[in-house]
Amino acid sequence: MSFLIAQSIINGVILGTLYLMMAIGFTLAFGVMRIVNFAHGEFYMIGAFLTLIGVKWLGLPFPAALVVTVVMAILLGGLVERFVFRPFRADELSGMIASLGLAMILQHMALIIFGPDPQSFPSLVSGVYRLGDLIVPKSRALTLGAGVVILLAFYGFLMHTRMGRALRALVQDQEVASIYGVRLEIMYPLGLGLGVALAAVAGGLMAPLFGVSPFIGGTPLLKAFIVVILGGLGSIPGAALAAILLGLIESLTSSFVSASAADIVTFALVVVVLLVRPSGLMGRAEA
Amino acid sequence: MSNDLSIRNLTVNYGPVRALHDVSFDVPEGRIAALVGSNGAGKSTVLKAICGMVDPVSGTIQVGGETVPSKPGAALRRGVALSPEGRRLFPALSVEENLFMGAYTVSNRKARDEMLERVYGYFPRLKERKRQAAGSLSGGEQQMCAIGRALMAQPRVLLLDEPSLGIAPIIVAELGRIIAQISQSLGMTVLLVEQNAQMALSLASTGIVLETGRVTLTGSGQDLLASPDIRAAYLGL
Repeated sequence: MSFLIAQSIINGVILGTLYLMMAIGFTLAFGVMRIVNFAHGEFYMIGAFLTLIGVKWLGLPFPAALVVTVVMAILLGGLVERFVFRPFRADELSGMIASLGLAMILQHMALIIFGPDPQSFPSLVSGVYRLGDLIVPKSRALTLGAGVVILLAFYGFLMHTRMGRALRALVQDQEVASIYGVRLEIMYPLGLGLGVALAAVAGGLMAPLFGVSPFIGGTPLLKAFIVVILGGLGSIPGAALAAILLGLIESLTSSFVSASAADIVTFALVVVVLLVRPSGLMGRAEA
Repeated sequence: MSNDLSIRNLTVNYGPVRALHDVSFDVPEGRIAALVGSNGAGKSTVLKAICGMVDPVSGTIQVGGETVPSKPGAALRRGVALSPEGRRLFPALSVEENLFMGAYTVSNRKARDEMLERVYGYFPRLKERKRQAAGSLSGGEQQMCAIGRALMAQPRVLLLDEPSLGIAPIIVAELGRIIAQISQSLGMTVLLVEQNAQMALSLASTGIVLETGRVTLTGSGQDLLASPDIRAAYLGL
């Protein structure tokens, strides 16, 4: 029994890491640009395919493929900002609709190129770590470790660099940030590019565990939504708390009850949070 | 003496409403000028126009003899920094991070850190609270942080929008003293926009009175303070 609990907690933390990587990019796009980015899940899918191409077709080692994925994703995010979202600045509704259109375009392009069938990802490492009774597959440990390192690096960037500080300032007061010289035409593509890169690298990290197909973006997008609602839109500490919580709840519920019960529990939680604390666990009420 | 800031024939509309009519005034280098007037007279609009936050219909703004185009950031590059109305700190950033945001365009780290020490010298309370989130400060401390943030941009012209707004009278007096001290020790030109005419005019060498978007009076701060019209209209005396 205690073994099952420990195993579920480990799986929950891995899921939470994935959800957090998705949610940060999603909340950043909203915080910086006021765009509810429905295409965010498709960047996860594209990241998974880019990594797959790197590993399977180009024969790159997995870390190199991830680096290539990150670079391509930042560029893609910058381009999307310039050509899709920029015309809809200061127009949240149209920006949201544009993002829905973008999601469809990206998903169908992937369908045309790769076909609908799930592709298997060559396994990177095999074997397990044993900690007493506990069994952790090495592939999962690797994903978790890499995810945590990437999240910490991103946190360091956001908290301790001049650009990161400017991004945070921009989220809080765009007008004042720009009178002190923060240039929106640089920060918007950068903000979106970083968010897209986090989603893409999440896709690449999860690809060996969950497989790759053009349809894998939907679930992570939904989870990013849930995390952001639970944690409070725009709050990164809130997102971190909510992501781990969501991962744990899902994992424990599916171990002890059933997978469909997990969905019921998480959405019930969303409804309760929206009713009781609409600004989220750690969000600030909108002024 | 040369003028550091010259506003010429500035006219601004908000939609169909004319906010400023043909406003002209000068602020001499190294001096404090007070722009006073009641609520809605257009004081903040003047500052917004200087900083490129609103587009004027006509008129020019010159800093140190150079015309400032109406774009965000243009005034900053010519040495103008604004402490906006209502302080507008970045609430979740720490006090020190707010100050660093003021120095966002200052690439010389040494100059930035020297100015930081100066700001802490003027406002020792900010140093005590430098790691605290700016949103958790008291109103007076937030105002100090907002003025400090503007100073961090190393401006030649400092624009202060209603520093006394919502602040206890004893702190207002303290802020007034510090503003005078800043102008004197740094030789900085200050345009002080205030509803609190008493405080602003007593600090200023030049006073400009704005009423419903027009300049109705200019003169030395002392003369305006003594003028019966001003005393009746703005000082309640």
